[in-house]
Amino acid sequence: MGEPHEDSHLNGDSKKPKLSSFITEPQLREEFAHHQPLVARINNGSFGSCPASIIAAQRRWQLKFLQQPDDFFFNHLQSRILHSRTLIKHLINADDVDEVSIVDNATTAAAIVLQHVGWAFAEGRFQKGDVVVMLHCAFQAVKKSIEAYVTRAGGSVIVVQLPFPLSSAEEIVVAFKKGLARGKANGRKVRLAIIDHITSMPCVVIPVRELVRICREEGVDQVFVDAAHAIGSVHVDVKDIGADFYVSNLHKWFFCPPSVAFLHCRKSPTIPDLHHPVVSHEYGNGLAIESAWIGTRDYSSQLVVPEVLDFIDRFEGGIEGIRKRNHDAVVQMAEMLAKAWGTNLGSPPDMCPSMAMVGLPASLGISSDTDASKLRTHLRDHFGVEVPLHYQAPKENEVEAENGDRDSLITGYARISHQVYNTVDDYLKFRDAINQLVQDMFTCNMLLQQ
Amino acid sequence: MFLSRSLHKPFSATTSSYLSSMASHHLHHHHQNGDTTHSPPSKKLKPTPITPSELLAEFSHHHPSTARINNGSFGSCPASIIAAQRRYQLQYLQQPDDFYFNRLKPSILKTRSIIKDLINADHVDEISVVDNATTAAAIVLQHITWSFFESKFNKGDTAVMLHYAYGAVKKSVQAYVTRAGGEVIEVKLPFPLKSNDEIITEFKKALEKAKSNGRKIRLAVIDHVTSMPCVVIPVKELVKICRDEGVDRIFVDAAHAIGCTEVDMQDIGADFYTSNLHKWFFCPPSVAFLYCRKTDKVADLHHPVVSHEYGNGLAVESAWIGTRDYSAQLVLPEVMDFLSRFEGGIDGIRKRNHERVVEMGDMLAEAWGTHLGSPPEMCASLAMVGMPACLGISSDSDALKLRTHLREYFGVEVPIYYRAPNDGEFNPITGYARISHQVYNTTEDYYKFRDAVNKLVNDAFTCALLSD
Repeated sequence: MGEPHEDSHLNGDSKKPKLSSFITEPQLREEFAHHQPLVARINNGSFGSCPASIIAAQRRWQLKFLQQPDDFFFNHLQSRILHSRTLIKHLINADDVDEVSIVDNATTAAAIVLQHVGWAFAEGRFQKGDVVVMLHCAFQAVKKSIEAYVTRAGGSVIVVQLPFPLSSAEEIVVAFKKGLARGKANGRKVRLAIIDHITSMPCVVIPVRELVRICREEGVDQVFVDAAHAIGSVHVDVKDIGADFYVSNLHKWFFCPPSVAFLHCRKSPTIPDLHHPVVSHEYGNGLAIESAWIGTRDYSSQLVVPEVLDFIDRFEGGIEGIRKRNHDAVVQMAEMLAKAWGTNLGSPPDMCPSMAMVGLPASLGISSDTDASKLRTHLRDHFGVEVPLHYQAPKENEVEAENGDRDSLITGYARISHQVYNTVDDYLKFRDAINQLVQDMFTCNMLLQQ
Repeated sequence: MFLSRSLHKPFSATTSSYLSSMASHHLHHHHQNGDTTHSPPSKKLKPTPITPSELLAEFSHHHPSTARINNGSFGSCPASIIAAQRRYQLQYLQQPDDFYFNRLKPSILKTRSIIKDLINADHVDEISVVDNATTAAAIVLQHITWSFFESKFNKGDTAVMLHYAYGAVKKSVQAYVTRAGGEVIEVKLPFPLKSNDEIITEFKKALEKAKSNGRKIRLAVIDHVTSMPCVVIPVKELVKICRDEGVDRIFVDAAHAIGCTEVDMQDIGADFYTSNLHKWFFCPPSVAFLYCRKTDKVADLHHPVVSHEYGNGLAVESAWIGTRDYSAQLVLPEVMDFLSRFEGGIDGIRKRNHERVVEMGDMLAEAWGTHLGSPPEMCASLAMVGMPACLGISSDSDALKLRTHLREYFGVEVPIYYRAPNDGEFNPITGYARISHQVYNTTEDYYKFRDAVNKLVNDAFTCALLSD
């Protein structure tokens, strides 16, 4: 099998002269024609999206396995996974392909890193009470993983509260320094800091490079960056960020089918080997090799990275161009919505990736996580709008809204996404749905229990 | 006036989820009645028996010039099931949020209910769906690690497993038991074998050793059908012996079992039992079940990939381990339909596969002047056939190289097992081919293999001739 993608992508040059023209509007629509037509799909952040040509490529790999699985296993699988890892290494500016493992998703990567912490407690490298630091808005699955592997093993967990809404990245730096100081109080050792690159809910871009630097200065043993959203929506340079472990999902913003993620582990003489928790024949041969065979399963989503790079090349500016246009569009749409509803964005535009948090009108009466969830369902079922909602509890001495009325306190934010398939109509549909609800004097307590 | 979710559904995505949930209610109801033919009354036509040409079409994606006599390694999946899987994949891609919130969990529950009835488990809570037996092993063994670490077990407590345990499981035992301070005792099994008694004797010896010096046997890992060399193990008897000898817990690794031997949880009586549905049960790659017997002594098992459902029970944890493609886990209903098109359903398929593989094994052994590695009653849908001694298979590496040679030069796909000879054996048979038989196989597949080996023998071929 030829390697037609190798040269162009390994040069890391996305500005090469185009031999073919860019993707046209009708071609783009066709690539996403499988998306449910009646739905304003403004939630690329949760489950991502995959163009039709990549689905077709994935099917070809699936069929190849089904045709002659033994031949596939012995002669193709390992080399194709290595190829994907090599392409990713270049994408993220890693030093060595050994540092790049491919796993199902960020949730799996978290289990790998945290199980390693669990063993460290079990084997006495860490002492009972040693600390793991995490952000309060860490993804729920990661919080549970910390409970399952750190708390259960005797570690202490320090939760760093981040403010929201925010006006600057500096607020995060200040909050993180405070949290880290608390972690180190009474001479405790901070063994691991888990930092999101882009938080999920509420969604903001975290200044990870600075936070990693602060961790190093403060003697934190290891830093794990959960960057589930990052690749394809912000610039990812793992050397520049400098973390020990860095994970991002390729099926969210990088057009891969569900599901595939990379876990970058910086080569270090001091960090003992990580292991994939599903142990198979390759146990002990390094995480990347272990992860490339965890029993018989469908690895096809991990094999389409070359085809995805081809797809991205059909857009002006490649992935940087897509990123920038997504960001500009989502900010523009967010501001349009905020203006229409008389609300605000939850963070300044430069802290928004390809997603933005837009305040929802206070009159909707979102007063709990349950309310947010029910309203989201209501928007899906009755207005055909798919968008996740975040409940933000007001602070004790909350600064009042601009018009000075306590009743207009914003407690709900919508996390809108923009990906290449979105159109302005998607956001107008959302605007109108909310306006309709406000006009009808809707409040969340009118919704029945789910 | 705001309507509740269940009443007014103006969008097609949610309407069809209602229809499928209605259908699943009927299906679930049927399975609770113990009816595995799966059709809601008066709604579905009786399944038509599959014709030979339809069967050919179902497996027409298989590489045409390969004699594919290795169903045991990676299994197989009919075209109609692949098509069903694609439909689920597409549903997800069309509107993933709706799929996640409204369809995924009920579909997985449906799968678990079908499996519960298939394997005669008491309660659907006992059934978790995971990727494969390798994952199930990690789940059971990680639990052992925690027991050592949390001082429920003492350093030096033992785990017993068969010498022929699957390589991945051996590594998992190393990673989770040995590393945590447990000691592992292997049951040496002879091969070739003449009867179950040989296995039972060795097993009892190993338990004695594992209990010696007052140690506690915390876990026995027993294969139902070993991989290489492949024999059916008398699990029911071995489980009983374990209970008599006070073994804490018994884990049966039955990766091959479902679709190729009888699988009855009440009858076998193990604590944990796992089998792959993509090997002999026509599911796409990959899906397996892990059965965990409900007992008073709660075994707190967790999926190692921890997500939102942590603490809600293994079955619920396993049904959401982050964003991924769960479609292989959702096609059980379609597989049951497929099976019903064969006379006798899965039992009929099983019996015919067994008869054919023994017949073909005998044919090959006679053609080569060798023998089967075990009596027919210890073969499932697979058989170990001795290869002519003159081929000079003298190591695992030789066996693998010969396998590759057979694939590349003869278009025959069959795994080969190297068996070290005993002292004093004259002209020993050191290589055994593990032939499989599944519904798509024909006699020609085995003739092709027979002729390939005959040619190698005629050409005075030996493994030493193959380069590394």
